[in-house]
Amino acid sequence: MEGLAPFLQNLSGGLLIGGIYALIGVGLSLIFGVMRIINFAHGEFVAVGMYTAIVCFQLFGLDPYVSLLIAAPIGFLLGALLQRVVLARLIDASSDSTLLATLGLALVISNVLFLVFGAEPKSIYVPYATQTVTLGGVRLPVAQLTAGAITLVVILALWLLLTRTEFGRAVRATAQNRLGAELVGINTPRIHALVFGLGMALAMCAGVILAPLLFAVPTVGSSYTLKAFVVTVLGGLGSVPGAIGGGLLLGVVEFMGASYLSSGYRDAYGLFAFLIVLLVRPEGLFGRSVKRV
Amino acid sequence: MTLKRTSLPWTWLGIAGVAALGATWYFAFPSYLSLGISLLLLAGWASAWDLLGGWTGQTSLGHAAFIGLGAYTVGVTATKFDLAPWWSFLLAAAFATVLAFLWGRLTFGLRGSYFVLSTIAVAEILRLVAINERKLTGGAIGLFIFDLKEPFGFDLFSRHTEFWLALGYLVIVLVVVALVTRGKLGYQMRAVREDESSAQAAGINPVAVKSWAFMLSGALTAIGGCIYGIFLSALQPQPMFELHLSVRIALVAIIGGRGTLFGPLIGAALLTLAAELFRNTFAEANLLIYGLLIVVVVLFVPRGLMGALRARAVRRRYAKSAGG
Repeated sequence: MEGLAPFLQNLSGGLLIGGIYALIGVGLSLIFGVMRIINFAHGEFVAVGMYTAIVCFQLFGLDPYVSLLIAAPIGFLLGALLQRVVLARLIDASSDSTLLATLGLALVISNVLFLVFGAEPKSIYVPYATQTVTLGGVRLPVAQLTAGAITLVVILALWLLLTRTEFGRAVRATAQNRLGAELVGINTPRIHALVFGLGMALAMCAGVILAPLLFAVPTVGSSYTLKAFVVTVLGGLGSVPGAIGGGLLLGVVEFMGASYLSSGYRDAYGLFAFLIVLLVRPEGLFGRSVKRV
Repeated sequence: MTLKRTSLPWTWLGIAGVAALGATWYFAFPSYLSLGISLLLLAGWASAWDLLGGWTGQTSLGHAAFIGLGAYTVGVTATKFDLAPWWSFLLAAAFATVLAFLWGRLTFGLRGSYFVLSTIAVAEILRLVAINERKLTGGAIGLFIFDLKEPFGFDLFSRHTEFWLALGYLVIVLVVVALVTRGKLGYQMRAVREDESSAQAAGINPVAVKSWAFMLSGALTAIGGCIYGIFLSALQPQPMFELHLSVRIALVAIIGGRGTLFGPLIGAALLTLAAELFRNTFAEANLLIYGLLIVVVVLFVPRGLMGALRARAVRRRYAKSAGG
């Protein structure tokens, strides 16, 4: 029983951070599934979410979890706007063009953050940041537990939205077949704008949830973009449930690798997992088949 | 796309012109040698990137991996094994070829965006290796090259030698690109870029063609990385393997014009100039210009500057030949 408590400790830590990865990955996968766009600006919206929480905290003294209510609509509007202004023009262009356009947007966002907030790391201090709950020998930080709970609620809400509403049905129809969806009267350009907005709102939520846990620097975005790619490839590109599984798996792999192998390579374990999945099962661990040459 | 390619003598004349312009820079702006070296290296990398990204249509956002590989090969072999730099250059090119071969094996068999995603992952893994394998690479503090063997009595740490080295590098890359793209491989590369299935139907093996382009592109980039390593002489994982360097190389080539011989060079000149002009306005946020420009290029000039010019010339020639 000696090794069990540390194992459970790592497992729970991995699952809690993995929940946030899942939240980031779900948005990316949703956007890819519906619009066939690989969104390189995804992590930058996580960064914008972090800075939104910091600004709300410093100016109005808002608890980061309250500023979710501000960040999510901002992310939604910003995402829908960017889709309408930039990406909607590229709807019939090659996947390379949309990829480059989002990469350009990512550079613009991270450098604007740099110009506005400067390079020094910023953080939020919340009184419950250092508190922990002990559960069967496993210590769980309150801030991370709250983050996990909120993630769960947001993902549940997304699931209800996609499976139980007329909007969700239209989104799934557009993902399956854009032309078919148009033929039955779905306004697909509108669905694209709403889905991109939704994805960005999810990324902003993830950023807000991360704000009390981590230091924010303007360049933090690209590392989350990379994590989101890993999550979605692990779960299968375009699969929303897959992204949830991929996120949890990435969190656990990072935690286990860091504590049992070498902590310096913490960020590399996910990438190795990504390359192994590409090698043996490119459709993702939970996905359907992929076209090979 | 184009009706008639520029004839061979004009290509050589263009490359000679580039060499002459470089030499003019050396004598006209002796106080801007470092800027010149950075520009020449960036242009060389972008042209090498273009073999894969432009001519073969496989966007890579991980070419910094080859630059880091080249620079660290020179650094490690010079400090640990006292190897002469010209052997390190060959060794770096060999390493890069092997890396590109394995990497291509892993991803070129898959369609879709898997290759571009893998490029970021591989470059990032190499960066983490450079940070963590302290015994070999000096970790995050870095590796310092104190002395190098002098080929033919040239001091490699002098900016003057480095400038000629970088100019020679760019000219060699341009010559290789010109020769390769005119040969059989070049036509196969373009066929794969335009339509993999049709290329396959014509008896071309897309995986092999992409792998060859990648190995060539990687080896050329790594040699540029060797020169970069000597130029900096203090190697750190942070600027070497970083995503930003990969992104800059790709964007320079795309803005200048993918799949054209001189497009990447023009892109490099333009963006280096822009970065210098706005240096004081944006300080370290100079990638902002790259971001704005790439969005504009993707939306309005999808073939890049050189590609747009060429398309225009072809239209005019066609109108003339059709009697219009």
